[in-house]
Amino acid sequence: MRISSARVGAALVVVVGLVTANAQEPLHTAGVSKQVVQDTMLPAIDRGLRDQEPPRPARTSLEADRLRAAGGDTLPYLRGSVIVKFKDDAPRAAVAAATAQVAGDIVDRSTWADFDIVDIPAGEDPETAAAALRARPDVEYAQPRYLNHAMARPNDTLYNNQWNFPAIDMERVWDIQPGASSDIIVAVLDSGMAYRDATVRYNAPAFSLDGLRYPALGQVLVPFAAAPELGASGSSRFVAPRDFIWGDDLPVDLDGHGTHVAGTVGQLTNNGRGTAGMAYNVRLMPVKVIQGLWDEIFRSPFEGTDDIVARGIRYAADNGAKVINLSIGREDGGPAPVVVDAIRYAVGKGAFLAAAAGNTREDGNLPNRLTQSAPDIDGFVAVGAVGRSLDLAFYSTTASYVELVAPGGDQRQGGTSGGILQQTLDLDLLETFDRPVSQYGPPRADSFAYLYFQGTSMATPHVAGFAALLMQQGITNPAAVEAAMKQFATDKGAAGRDNSYGYGLINPRATLRGLGLAR
Amino acid sequence: MIGAGMNRFSIAASIVVALASLDATSALAQQKPRTPPPAARRPVQKPSRSISIGGYAMYGNISFTAKQSFEAVLGKASGPIAGGGARVGLPWGGLFFDVGAFRYQATGERVFIFNGETFKLGIPVKVTVTPIELSAGWQFRFRRAPRFTPYVAGGLTMMKYQETSDFATTSEDVDDSFNGYHVMGGAEYKITRWFGVAGEASWTTVANAIGVSGVSKTFDETDLGGKTLRFKITIGR
Repeated sequence: MRISSARVGAALVVVVGLVTANAQEPLHTAGVSKQVVQDTMLPAIDRGLRDQEPPRPARTSLEADRLRAAGGDTLPYLRGSVIVKFKDDAPRAAVAAATAQVAGDIVDRSTWADFDIVDIPAGEDPETAAAALRARPDVEYAQPRYLNHAMARPNDTLYNNQWNFPAIDMERVWDIQPGASSDIIVAVLDSGMAYRDATVRYNAPAFSLDGLRYPALGQVLVPFAAAPELGASGSSRFVAPRDFIWGDDLPVDLDGHGTHVAGTVGQLTNNGRGTAGMAYNVRLMPVKVIQGLWDEIFRSPFEGTDDIVARGIRYAADNGAKVINLSIGREDGGPAPVVVDAIRYAVGKGAFLAAAAGNTREDGNLPNRLTQSAPDIDGFVAVGAVGRSLDLAFYSTTASYVELVAPGGDQRQGGTSGGILQQTLDLDLLETFDRPVSQYGPPRADSFAYLYFQGTSMATPHVAGFAALLMQQGITNPAAVEAAMKQFATDKGAAGRDNSYGYGLINPRATLRGLGLAR
Repeated sequence: MIGAGMNRFSIAASIVVALASLDATSALAQQKPRTPPPAARRPVQKPSRSISIGGYAMYGNISFTAKQSFEAVLGKASGPIAGGGARVGLPWGGLFFDVGAFRYQATGERVFIFNGETFKLGIPVKVTVTPIELSAGWQFRFRRAPRFTPYVAGGLTMMKYQETSDFATTSEDVDDSFNGYHVMGGAEYKITRWFGVAGEASWTTVANAIGVSGVSKTFDETDLGGKTLRFKITIGR
């Protein structure tokens, strides 16, 4: 029997694909499906300003964990595995002894990782196992695979609606530095980005949410489009896209958070439509490291655990990102050494990182574990949020790690329009799981609207965009970028640094102007 | 960099003075071609017992005390100067008074300093320093070298400092004046009775003029003074 070379090739592709998938140890192996059906789409739908919608529930870790909670799992980490970094000189025998201690197995190392994932029995407590491993002399760090989520609080309520830019004098800033240039790449590590047109086939099994049982939809075709205000699909605006949640190069946004954040960083500006962005000429790198509910419903093989975030940071740094935006984090669990290590790596590669301080001020003021190391790393800043009156936003976490504040929106300081306005996915057509079960159907990710969001997630891209402008202006060292931002920040709250405002409100104009001889 | 206008004016003035001197000498020679006084019999010039008045144009170089600050913004802490002044000699020994002014002007970039590293920000900044010096001094005359007159002087400096940059509001530019002191020393050589050249060195201090803001604060440099070396073309007795 003759076998055609095409069939051999196809078989090889399948085998390689299976091996790769196995190496990355997907969480969900059954029913995983994500397949690009079509690369071109009809033009994206622009549904305009949506400022009259009823308030949406604030996004918290509970919100992010809705689907997991419905399944009875309320732990802030994944079961069955931990993150371990063995010391470089650890002998093979010591590594074997360590894994044996927790009855574990080392999974093949993932790309963009200098750490290992150790499988442990599903019944073992990952925190206990990680503690046991940390106690060993040959282990640098060990931690559970904590889950991260978006740090935004979408709410309800074009340039005139963007109070946030005049509030930090951006019009005069753009005179000095008009939106940076394509030399600067800003990586947005988030829920993905509406950066391209495609029709993607997913498998939608049945699931329970908020006490309701939603039926399986089977194979669904989800239309995606590039957000018109971010750039054209396939254009050079977008560089090195990577999806660590699905393990592919198609980090499309099924949530809306990442697209909104990317808009604040680099929304197309002076194009006679929509809204503006801080550094509107940069190139954007979409890196998907957290999942939305649809990703969970479609059973993405990975979730936004610390190791995924760490790999995303390393990937971005290795692929030329000069600024990395982390509007993500978690309040649960302990420190995240794997992420801290990755942040140090990225700074060492010349990247500046901005991360959300957290939105828990009225929810126990719990710290964002991903951001706590900011004071210890020059080139990495933790960003709090102010509202329209430039007072601290009601939700902005206060902590010793807060270094700067930027406009993040606050509906208590100006109503619905007190949020940060950007174009993002039209949530009416995206979040069909929030409809009654009878109206539940597949999402659309090709329809866009201008929505007000609030959160330190929204403050962070102001700082990331600001960093891009500074780098374009000549301050290329991440530590110097941070120092400049702090030096010229407008002090607020108690004199000097404080836990609410850090060193103060960012002052891009003064920072970009720098210093003369006498003034 | 010296302002082009000042440069041209000064050079033109110097040439006029030089030509006038040469022309005067030449005319004198034509009027009395047969009676040039023998050099050996020429009377020794005695110290003046009357008020003498003269003027000068000067060119030179200034090195600022706030070395790090000037280097950070302008790329160098020294540069050319041009100016002029007048000197009045009094009929008491070698006492004289002098009033002079010069200008230093340079362009650079606004910067940010971090850990000793200077990041240039591409925003042009122009610095103009214009000291006006009021001096009193003493001229030393030697019978054996009557054309050669060393002198020392000291006095008050009124330093005008201007700093302008692109994208600045009026309040963000600097236009201030400060007072300080200077000492100087030099020597004049009379080529003719009315025309001479001089070399001079000075040291000026203008304390607490800078250092409140800008890179001068970063480097904790507060003195706007410096050292100058000047070449003068003098006219007058």
